[in-house]
Amino acid sequence: MSAPEPTHPLAACATPGRHGAPGDAPLRVTLPRRDMVQVMARRGREDALAEAARAAFGLALPPAGQAAAAPDATAVWIQPGHWLFAAPRGMEGALAARAAAAFAGLAAVADQSHGRTTIAVSGPAARRVLARGCRLDLHPRAFGPGRAAATQIAHVGCLIHQTDEAPVFELTVFATLAEPFFHWLMEAGAQDGVLIE
Amino acid sequence: MLRIPCPHCGARDEAEFSYRGDATVTRPGADGDIAAFHDYLYTRTNPRGWQVEWWQHAAGCRAFLKVLRHTVTHEIRAVVTATGTLEVPPA
Repeated sequence: MSAPEPTHPLAACATPGRHGAPGDAPLRVTLPRRDMVQVMARRGREDALAEAARAAFGLALPPAGQAAAAPDATAVWIQPGHWLFAAPRGMEGALAARAAAAFAGLAAVADQSHGRTTIAVSGPAARRVLARGCRLDLHPRAFGPGRAAATQIAHVGCLIHQTDEAPVFELTVFATLAEPFFHWLMEAGAQDGVLIE
Repeated sequence: MLRIPCPHCGARDEAEFSYRGDATVTRPGADGDIAAFHDYLYTRTNPRGWQVEWWQHAAGCRAFLKVLRHTVTHEIRAVVTATGTLEVPPA
């Protein structure tokens, strides 16, 4: 028996459909459900942790400002010695248990699945909309697929991970601040139109 | 608005950082007297010129950084991680 799926932090405000101005190229918004764990390397064990990550998840721990993807998980560098692992939502606590088993003695593992939530934005309008609140240069010559950065958008700490050239940006924010962040996103996207899927 | 070149994240806006004061003060040992602790807590030089300061990249990589900043021109000449050392250039 499994616990009932918790309510999505944006269930009350992310109404599927068209919002804002009409147009051919709206900002596309999806809400992928993810399990997330923060992995914090023990001092001096970074090399062994990288080896364990390769063995258990099939990915190379990315350096600063980068993300790495494997078929069933991604790892995003968030701060020195810290990575955020994400995988599609599965059994409660399964990703954390998998990471804790793989990294025993090498890293501390903290389940963030309920603490953070991911909003994926894509389409030709994505860079323009994000530029209304994001201080980072997301132009292709400065940012690109596989890049990631922690910053602040609308006063909310936000991890930006570009997963695709399309472009697709995954914005990971604290679940408790997801609603105000989402309101900013809807305001910023209103003049281009927003399609929530 | 300052642009601070974080050694981990690259140049970022000052708004992502939190200023944490003079990075040259050292904590007295446990046997330090009350005057030594008073100086450690409260006495600052407030220089007109180069100063080594703590800045925490609070909204980015969370790291504490040492920044060599000119208090008049706001020029930032060097940034290192917390364990690095920065020399104050002659005025």
